[in-house]
Amino acid sequence: MESKVKNRILSISMLIFLVGMSGWFIFRTPDEYSYSERRVLKQKPVFSMEEFLDGEYGKKYEDYALDQFPLRDNLRGIKAISENYIFNKADNNGIIFKEGHLSKIEYPLKESMLEYAGNRFEFIYKKYLMKKDIEPYFVIVPDKNYYLGQKRNILTMDYEKLYKQMYKKTSYMKHIDIRSHLILEDYYYTDTHWRQEKIGDIAKLIADKMGTKVDADYKKVVCKEPFYGVYVGQSALKVTPDKLVYLTDDTLKKCSVLCYDTGMPVKKELYDMDKLKSKDMYEVFLSGAVALLTIENPQASSDKELIMFRDSFGSSLAPLLVEGYKKITMVDIRYINSDVLDAFIEFNDQDVLFVYSTLLLNSSLGIR
Amino acid sequence: MLFSSITFLYVFLPIIVALYFIVPYKVKNYVLLLASLIFYAWGEPKYIIIMIVQIILGYIFAIIIDKYRDKSSVKYMLAMIVIVNLGFLVYFKYANFFIRTFGQVTGVSVNLLKIALPIGISFYTFQIVSYVIDVYRGTVALQKNPFYLATYISFFPQLIAGPIVRYVDVEKQLVERKSDFDKIAHGIRRFVLGLGKKVLIANTLGELCDIFRGSSDLSVAYYWLYAISFTLHIYYDFSGYSDMAIGLGKIFGFDFIENFNYPYISKSITEFWRRWHMSLGTWFRDYVYIPLGGNRVSKAKFIRNIIIVWFLTGFWHGADWNFIIWGCYFAIFLLIEKFFLIKKLENMKVFNHIYVMFVVIIGFVIFNATSMNQVISDIGGLIGIGELPFVSSEFLYYIRSYGLVLIIAIIGATPLPKKVVHIINSKANGNKLLNLLEPLVMLIIMILITAYLVDGSFNPFLYFRF
Repeated sequence: MESKVKNRILSISMLIFLVGMSGWFIFRTPDEYSYSERRVLKQKPVFSMEEFLDGEYGKKYEDYALDQFPLRDNLRGIKAISENYIFNKADNNGIIFKEGHLSKIEYPLKESMLEYAGNRFEFIYKKYLMKKDIEPYFVIVPDKNYYLGQKRNILTMDYEKLYKQMYKKTSYMKHIDIRSHLILEDYYYTDTHWRQEKIGDIAKLIADKMGTKVDADYKKVVCKEPFYGVYVGQSALKVTPDKLVYLTDDTLKKCSVLCYDTGMPVKKELYDMDKLKSKDMYEVFLSGAVALLTIENPQASSDKELIMFRDSFGSSLAPLLVEGYKKITMVDIRYINSDVLDAFIEFNDQDVLFVYSTLLLNSSLGIR
Repeated sequence: MLFSSITFLYVFLPIIVALYFIVPYKVKNYVLLLASLIFYAWGEPKYIIIMIVQIILGYIFAIIIDKYRDKSSVKYMLAMIVIVNLGFLVYFKYANFFIRTFGQVTGVSVNLLKIALPIGISFYTFQIVSYVIDVYRGTVALQKNPFYLATYISFFPQLIAGPIVRYVDVEKQLVERKSDFDKIAHGIRRFVLGLGKKVLIANTLGELCDIFRGSSDLSVAYYWLYAISFTLHIYYDFSGYSDMAIGLGKIFGFDFIENFNYPYISKSITEFWRRWHMSLGTWFRDYVYIPLGGNRVSKAKFIRNIIIVWFLTGFWHGADWNFIIWGCYFAIFLLIEKFFLIKKLENMKVFNHIYVMFVVIIGFVIFNATSMNQVISDIGGLIGIGELPFVSSEFLYYIRSYGLVLIIAIIGATPLPKKVVHIINSKANGNKLLNLLEPLVMLIIMILITAYLVDGSFNPFLYFRF
């Protein structure tokens, strides 16, 4: 091929590409929501002379163009492949893909966040538990990078320091260290959370330390729907989805779950099957993020009650502790101010368990 | 508007290119002028007035200077327009620096002015000044059409970050130029490769520099990783921009001067500055250094001339002490080379490259510091002052993560890729293969660039505010 022909082909093909993509972008109907990124997309800014003159309109238009560009998800995928496989980058936008596991770099350790979380826990202890002589238990759930990072050249927070600092800050609690009872395979490949079907021994250990017993023989139910965890959209990679599995038995089926988020009790399911169609399937467990809910076990062999202060890791753990309690009250102080808990909970002689992941402790400003 | 933005690539550029090639020849310059004003106004509409005022003043004063060129008083007219134009630059770029320095020296608390630096003012001011001086010298003819002059000054490919195109270089092209597929294809190739340098390499290395700045796990090796990354980052960022400007110029039929010529293969600092930001170097040579006497003066005056030029070069890059020190730092090496080292360097095959890169890297560490304290701490970090460990876990992670990009960037900063293409091209089958693959490769690079823009957030231009 002569270079003149080549130059014609190059000029015309590039012109067609630019004009074609330009027309597609300008005339397409904008999307409202990105399911892969789980966020609302920017819409075309309304022109105003004031915003144009201070340069804001130009910035907003570019944000809109970035969000609404045709084939956005495919282009994000191309970039992810380029970063991972061409440039051999260890992460793409902080998301790592190692041994089939997607995860997010959580680095560095933020000591001020640990201090803040510790202060909030201490506040709860002093206000509600100390005068009742309740000695709470504390489980720190290691995130999957704790295991993924070992010998895999991943930048991880200083976990030893985190545990040491949190244990020191919560010296009034009994600490249950579960790190040696978990392995990487106990976590979903595409999500941040642990698999309920893999944490039976963790539940037994915690129950044992708290003086109760859980020993049920659960039936595993595998959901048909593919489970694309939180990191899939962020990574923009095409990966094999996880299978979401939950455990059940007669006791769990007979439990009643009440949610108090609206002030009045609302009946919920232990495993909310409607969430299988939602953007975050892990919310199947106790309907996901709620401020306050109770699980009542009519088949309980004792009158023991448990109050669990928790993040999302607690949602899949709590059903496995039900056997040992008549009632479990679950509190998520990201969604309810810890100052007003006595308006909803009567603190007596319940067992009290704090279950928080290293992820939340290292980014704890959300707790109140 | 940034070249590396969706708005530019997929809204502005296709519309302007289509319009440019549709309209009759006589209207083309007006299309380019209108496009340039929209391009400038998109980011900072307020400051377009300043540029227009400077263009009008340059136009009027050039007419007066041309008309009264035989009168002795015309020198004062020239001095006046140069001072007025530089006055704009001094006010917007340096006023707060002078106020701050005055406050620091006297201890008097003085409020800073609430002014922002108009984009590209350092570039277009130099173009206007050079045009008026060239009219005075008689090296260019007066441009009687104010719109043509405005097209030259405000031409969007080179408006905000150069190259500093001199009027003499585009004088004829403003009136008569040709566009054909060969030139357009050349322009597209240059633009896409420049955009790739910017988006795929410079932005990636810039991210690494930002990560380093936010790190609390520093080490000597990490400081060096940062210094090398920034040295490559600024080259790819700025030369990428120049490539894009030259490429866009070609698409519209203009031939701009080259701005970079593999500066990191230089064997001396003298050579480095003949290869780095060449349009600025020649501007200072022609309008400052030679009028001062150049090197045809006594040794003392020669030293003075070098120091003045490099003080100004540093100060042009930014209104802060680290830029002045950066300029003077190079003046020292240029003088040392001139008087002692230059011939010795020619015979030192490997050492000369190591020496140049060492000086350049340290120079860019000074350049990129945000304060004099940071200059000291960065250089201290490079030599291990402050009980820093040699390596840290963060360094190990990022050297692994960015290692390949760094290797690609180092190889790409040499003529090696060009030589390889040349060798392949010189063979019959190789030439056919390249002809076949090139359009495809360009499209793939463009798609990759778009993917990085759509998914990325790190996209500043270092020279945007100079």
